[in-house]
Amino acid sequence: MNRLIKKSMAVLMVPLSFFAHASDLTVDKIISKSNLAAYYTAKDGRAEARMMIVDKNGNKQMRQFTILRQDVEDAGQQNMLVVFSRPTDVKGTVFRVEKHVSQDDNRWLYLPALDLVKRISAGDKRTSFVGSHFYYEDVSGRNPKEDDFELLRETDKSYVIKGIPKDPESVEFSYYQVSVDVDTFIPMEVIYFDNQDKAIRKMTVIKTQKIQGYTTVVHARIEQLGDGSFTEMQFRNIRYDLNLPATVFSERSLRNPPTKWLK
Amino acid sequence: MKLSYQKDFILISLLALLSCFSSESLSKNNTSFDLEQEVSQENSKDSSNDLWGDDDWGEESNQSQLWQLSGFAEIGLGQFTQENVTGSNLSLSELRGQLDTKYSGDWFSFNAKGDLLVDEIIEEIDYDIRELNFAINTLDNTDLIIGRQVITWGTGDYLFLNDLFSKDWQSFFAGRDDVYLKAPNDAVRILHYLGDLTLDFVYSPKFTADRFLTGERFSFYSPFQQAIVAPNNFPVVTTESEQYSLRLATTINSVEYAIYGYEGFWTTPVGVYRQAGNFGESYFPKLNSYGASARTPAFGGLFHTEIAVYNSIEDNNGSDPFIANDQIRLLLGFELELASDVIGAFQYYLEHTQNYRALESTASDPARLVDENRQVITFRLTHLSFQQTLTSSLFVFYSPTDQDAFIKPSVTYRYDDNWQFSSGANIFIGEKEYTFFGQHEDNSNIWMRFRYSY
Repeated sequence: MNRLIKKSMAVLMVPLSFFAHASDLTVDKIISKSNLAAYYTAKDGRAEARMMIVDKNGNKQMRQFTILRQDVEDAGQQNMLVVFSRPTDVKGTVFRVEKHVSQDDNRWLYLPALDLVKRISAGDKRTSFVGSHFYYEDVSGRNPKEDDFELLRETDKSYVIKGIPKDPESVEFSYYQVSVDVDTFIPMEVIYFDNQDKAIRKMTVIKTQKIQGYTTVVHARIEQLGDGSFTEMQFRNIRYDLNLPATVFSERSLRNPPTKWLK
Repeated sequence: MKLSYQKDFILISLLALLSCFSSESLSKNNTSFDLEQEVSQENSKDSSNDLWGDDDWGEESNQSQLWQLSGFAEIGLGQFTQENVTGSNLSLSELRGQLDTKYSGDWFSFNAKGDLLVDEIIEEIDYDIRELNFAINTLDNTDLIIGRQVITWGTGDYLFLNDLFSKDWQSFFAGRDDVYLKAPNDAVRILHYLGDLTLDFVYSPKFTADRFLTGERFSFYSPFQQAIVAPNNFPVVTTESEQYSLRLATTINSVEYAIYGYEGFWTTPVGVYRQAGNFGESYFPKLNSYGASARTPAFGGLFHTEIAVYNSIEDNNGSDPFIANDQIRLLLGFELELASDVIGAFQYYLEHTQNYRALESTASDPARLVDENRQVITFRLTHLSFQQTLTSSLFVFYSPTDQDAFIKPSVTYRYDDNWQFSSGANIFIGEKEYTFFGQHEDNSNIWMRFRYSY
């Protein structure tokens, strides 16, 4: 009898668990998991990055830098240090961010030729990150609280979600559509639309890689659909859970970048 | 080092610089050619790797990881917009090559950065070592930088209160890159970190003055001659004594606080010698100062304020008309992103001369004295466009008390990672020939620069 119950339970459990999987994950939960997967991997990390910025005429510019990141709390405050190594005119420039969720970020820029520690007003997060097609918000993550979400469809591979900004005046788009990978929760594609439902901007993940068990974007592309200009960003030498000391994210690192963690 | 000038030097140096670049690019090509095969294997895996060409993250060899080499060559040209008593109509005419090298060792780094300059205005070939220092940066809580270095602190934008490290006003007026506004100092700098507190101490064994206007490039007002002059020879009694600067800084709840102290000399020659031997020559009177600053995000922008108290200790009661009086300097500023890629900034600056009555009673021409409360308002508008490759900027100094202004418009276009073109103007307007900016009316100039970075 016991065995029969167990057996029938097992049969019942399979579809139930399937059902539970779909219903448990509200759209907000998917977004929150996606936010963590994309921007809060592990408790800290480092990566080398390079960007190729291509304008509508095909002119190229390059930026190369190393990023150090530390999460103060998951989905909450983060510290970031970006140390530029190329090209010549930005070499040695250091960018430090204290990312906050409930208040404006603190941002500093260090210009080595002047020995100048410049504070940057938090301002518009939807401005270009060092001349690329990536916005500050694309690099540090858009606060999920800024948008309302709607699950459009669910396929074998992805959740397709529509994000509508709560404050339409604060952004250049009307809404966006993000495809979140069902397994990794990495947002694999984001398309931004204007108020005439025309796609204006598109982010595509070209390649991901499993690093220390974490699925990580190693190659992505952002296109300005109107004029064909775009930026590609690649990452390498990614490492997580380095136990970066908090002192790495301090004024000291602007003038004296922490070589130990950058190499 | 100053070599005697010959016209041919410009040509020779240009050729030397160009050959430097061609060999540089040649060696780069060679290296990248070696790497091509390795990279192309990756290409087949990744569809869009064509984009990166044979760029291999800029790595050439292990050797180059330790030694970094970069620099630029630049041509700068500028012209006065009106007749100038300097006798020349050129405000800038130079060929500049910079070499920047850094060696990163295990516990130290060695930095050397120098410019070679063919300067048509002073008719000389000159060099300017901007950095030559050892930095020890692996100590637990302390960084040490010993040697020639550029040092900046304080919160002002083109206005300096507690930053008494040397400035290069000649470069600023001539339209050279903003970087040249700060001249290098020979110093020992100790940065000590105690929790959230930064203790920043700079000792200069030998006083470094500003690179102030001497008449070599620009004209200025002489209170003794009561006229605009550009002397060929501007005699200054230099001092070789020590300078000490101190900054204590911390950040609490996103607000940056700092206090400052300085013991040294005025960095421009605001004194006139009356001892036999150097009678009538300008010199740098002793100056001690202390002050404080704060910087914080506020109202969606950035607010900053700074105060400095200058003790001109050789003339404490202000009775000596040949030595600058004590001052209190105050600054308030606000910066805001007005629209996407448009930044506006505003500053209010007050320079209060102390013991003003004493100064008035001893001055030879009190009517031409600076106001007791000289005030300056600055306004900056910066616009970035074309994927931030074009920077348009307008900076205006306006003094309601002096009734003069200094307007600095400029555009910088970054064609690619190597080529950059900039152009702008330095426009001085003033009713009177003896006010701070007004005296420079004839120095108004337009300039342009082409730079190739490698």
